[in-house]
Amino acid sequence: MARVFYPLQHFDPTPTQFQLLPFRFMRFEEKELLVNEAGEFLFTPSGTVRNLVDGSLETNSVLYRDLKAKHLVYDDTSSALLDVLATKVRTKFDHITGGTKLHIFVVTLRCDHSCHYCQVSRQSASRAQFDMSTSTADRAIAMMMDSPAQDVTLEIQGGEPLLAFEMIQYIVTKAKPLALEKGKNLDIVVCSNLSHITDDILHYFRDEGIKVSTSLDGPAFLHNKNRPRPGNDSYQRAIDGIERCRAVLRMERVAALMTTTAASLDYVTEIVDEYVRRNFHSIFLRPISPYGFAVKTHRKIGYEMERFLKFYKDGLKHILDINRGGYRIAEVYTQILLTKILTPHSTRYVDMQSPAGEAWNVLVYNYDGDVYASDESRMLAEMNDRTFRLGNVHSDTRRSLFTSDAALRMFHAACNQALVGCSDCAFQSYCAADPIYHHATQGDMYGNRPTSGFCMRNMSVLKHLFSIIEQNDRDTMRVLWSWITGTTAHGPATECA
Amino acid sequence: MDANSRAAAPIEVEISLSIISAEALLKTCYWFSRDYVCEIRNRDENVADVFLTSRDSSSGSDPSSIKDSFITAAMDFALREKIEAKTSGIRDLLLAKAFSEAGVLEDQPEGIFGDKIEEANPEGMFKILNNRYR
Amino acid sequence: MRLTTMGVARNFDRSIVGILATSELPSGQRSDRIRFFSEGEVHESVSGYRALLCHDGLKVDFAVPYVHRLRDSDHLRDGDIVVLEGSTGLVRSLYRPYELHHHLFVTERCNSNCLMCSQPPKDRDDVEALTQRNLELIDLIKTPPPYLTITGGEPTLLGDNLFNLISRLKFSMPETEVHVLTNGRAFAWPEYAKHFAETKHPKISLGIPLYSDYAGLHDYVVQAKGAFDQTVSGMHQAARNGIRVEVRVVLHKLTLPRLTEIVEYIYRNLTFVEHVALMGLEYTGYTPRNIQELWIDPFDYQDNLEQAVEFLAIRNMTVSIYNHQLCVLKPSLWSYARKSISDWKTLYLETCERCTERPNCGGFFQWAIKKHSDHIHVL
Repeated sequence: MARVFYPLQHFDPTPTQFQLLPFRFMRFEEKELLVNEAGEFLFTPSGTVRNLVDGSLETNSVLYRDLKAKHLVYDDTSSALLDVLATKVRTKFDHITGGTKLHIFVVTLRCDHSCHYCQVSRQSASRAQFDMSTSTADRAIAMMMDSPAQDVTLEIQGGEPLLAFEMIQYIVTKAKPLALEKGKNLDIVVCSNLSHITDDILHYFRDEGIKVSTSLDGPAFLHNKNRPRPGNDSYQRAIDGIERCRAVLRMERVAALMTTTAASLDYVTEIVDEYVRRNFHSIFLRPISPYGFAVKTHRKIGYEMERFLKFYKDGLKHILDINRGGYRIAEVYTQILLTKILTPHSTRYVDMQSPAGEAWNVLVYNYDGDVYASDESRMLAEMNDRTFRLGNVHSDTRRSLFTSDAALRMFHAACNQALVGCSDCAFQSYCAADPIYHHATQGDMYGNRPTSGFCMRNMSVLKHLFSIIEQNDRDTMRVLWSWITGTTAHGPATECA
Repeated sequence: MDANSRAAAPIEVEISLSIISAEALLKTCYWFSRDYVCEIRNRDENVADVFLTSRDSSSGSDPSSIKDSFITAAMDFALREKIEAKTSGIRDLLLAKAFSEAGVLEDQPEGIFGDKIEEANPEGMFKILNNRYR
Repeated sequence: MRLTTMGVARNFDRSIVGILATSELPSGQRSDRIRFFSEGEVHESVSGYRALLCHDGLKVDFAVPYVHRLRDSDHLRDGDIVVLEGSTGLVRSLYRPYELHHHLFVTERCNSNCLMCSQPPKDRDDVEALTQRNLELIDLIKTPPPYLTITGGEPTLLGDNLFNLISRLKFSMPETEVHVLTNGRAFAWPEYAKHFAETKHPKISLGIPLYSDYAGLHDYVVQAKGAFDQTVSGMHQAARNGIRVEVRVVLHKLTLPRLTEIVEYIYRNLTFVEHVALMGLEYTGYTPRNIQELWIDPFDYQDNLEQAVEFLAIRNMTVSIYNHQLCVLKPSLWSYARKSISDWKTLYLETCERCTERPNCGGFFQWAIKKHSDHIHVL
């Protein structure tokens, strides 16, 4: 018997009413920006939210279909597909699965530089009492391997870690077989100013597959100004070090991070051009961290959020122009935020996660065995604020670290879903919580949102990015997507000495 | 009266408490508290007066545009309350599904199967599957 | 090239599947062969074959099964696997070893009824017979092909029979990549998805169509209420069980207006799909009946198509364009166009004779003679 064809109305009747799915919104330029629970967004005409709330939105419209496809509304003509939405939400919280992935080992506090913003005590190069002992290293390595994470990154920092090269060798020699035994993939990075790099050290890094991360704040005048050193040759040493590393290791195993200071704020074009000149393909326009010596020498560094935002926007524009001209260089902060906005995935960058990545995804093992929730919390301890000291490798287990008072207090303030100001914010899915930042700058882990530098910065940058997304310029979006898909996921850009 | 004290005069906003709840009002003041000292006085059970005094006496922004911003923000918080009232139940369900083990909190397939032969067959595969779920 | 021809069948009433032999074989090699005699060829040494096939009318009453008075044979070659129908005398070619694309046709039943279906469904239970035929066919394939597509109708309606076929394929030709064209709706039942995955075929994937980002329109195109919900849930269950999924979108007047929204929906909700195929409309099956609603000249939707392809490409999703001629596609899309038409179906028009891109172009389906773009031209 031949089958009958039914008309459109049979399958697509106009719904007489609809239900709302959870969403947050904000006014955006002349429109409204709606964001669903899985971080998918939609720009709508002004007045849409009101029409959604009072049920007056016209259901026989393109707008209604867009809202339905974006999981903002549903009706009884079809399934809400809640399980699909739940899967999308779960994917967005992928970063909390698997346990701590980034383990930072501070092998020594000794350093030959006196960087203004350094969050580490200045120590002359000869005092061996500020080095990690082998027994501490053993315990820290065991703690690291206790984490359930399959992919683990071991990041070696200081001071200047190359001043304690034997300890680096000790740690690598111990960690690698243990990782193999436990079936973990171990990535090793050494953060160094490279002034003490030798051929022997480079060959060791090459043979062990170790990556190097160093600091390049910009052209010579800026880099040297930020990083005083006897001889005032920090820049030249950094450049020489980079080239020497590249000659022995592969190009992609040598990364550079910049630190923004008050001095940097007027020179974003020069800084970006320096990175291009040195053949780097990524640059991270970070704000200066407000910890450690930054707070101590506030007058010297004097940082205003407005100036940073101009720095970032001008920098991004210049970087986009460079990309359009054919040279590929990604801006990392933008890439992280766009990954959260435009893709179904979460970010591995611990400083921009909610629940906050502190402790969950990063642990810092200090030279003395003390364990901290992040690099910043270690720096606070240098100034006698031990709020985020979780314990010590010699007296604690993983369980006792994560159930310590310090950890539990911090976790309580670590979800932006539950923080005042953030719980209603349209950018919640894209932003993060940072209890340590708020404790350091406002004396309160939960933070006061309207006066929070963290909020101001992220809100402004996100608005700027949404403006770019809304304009939808084809060439710009191609460049931005090449950053999102082309660059590999990586851990945090922690401060390197 | 000199320019400075005129600039420091509080901006008055009248709020109808039957439209904007106390909670929505507080949230609005929270955000305005960066730039303004916010004082709320209940005139009676239906109306509250909000007095916004600029923290920066030299700012000189137009009072009526500040008032507009305040009211718009307050209305938006009122809308958010309504959204939350309508969606908090399904949000809890959604998050429970997102964070539970696969298969534990999932919905069964809806709709008809649509094949005459399978539907007519008492031992049909989909009948059996459906029975298991009952 | 034709697929079927007719003759008169004798001495059997069911189906016989066998490999065509156009010349005499030693007796030890005859048991899986059907001996084909060309016109005028002497019919001798006939014992041991599965059946005989010939143009001439056989006067002697051989005891073996045969089909004589065959109408056509220009499409038959030595090594082809064919099925002879005892009840009708139909001779159908099932498998041609020299072709690139191979299909396993498993049923005419379907629980959808797409407006543009190229194989309109029939509510007749042919599963047992076709499964038997296909199992025999699989056993007769001497050289495993690189790819094989399971198609219908709706293959999931086979129930366990589909799992049998897949297991037989896994056993006989484990290196062959198997692609199952399905509406994916059965996979919405988690038990079904689980059973499917338990066949543990190492190289299997599903090709599932999606025609909109919202249920009402998709359900209308496939003429089945609840289909969108089942298809999307089904894809999720499949992915969860480790079954690879590809999405297909047929391009016509109903799907094109929201094509970018469809691919965005795929990107955010079906992120796990390994490939998106954007397919040209085939003027066959139900399509001619519904042509008013469906037809839009490919030349006229190039902007939409380019936008959708770019959307997927910059997000690193693999996308292909099937069944489009190069002269109607924007040059920016040529690298996505695949020569997708099965060898036996491919045709070129007269205009194409002088076209420089002809070797790279996928050409037309045979029904394109009746309906194709108004803009076909020489490049």
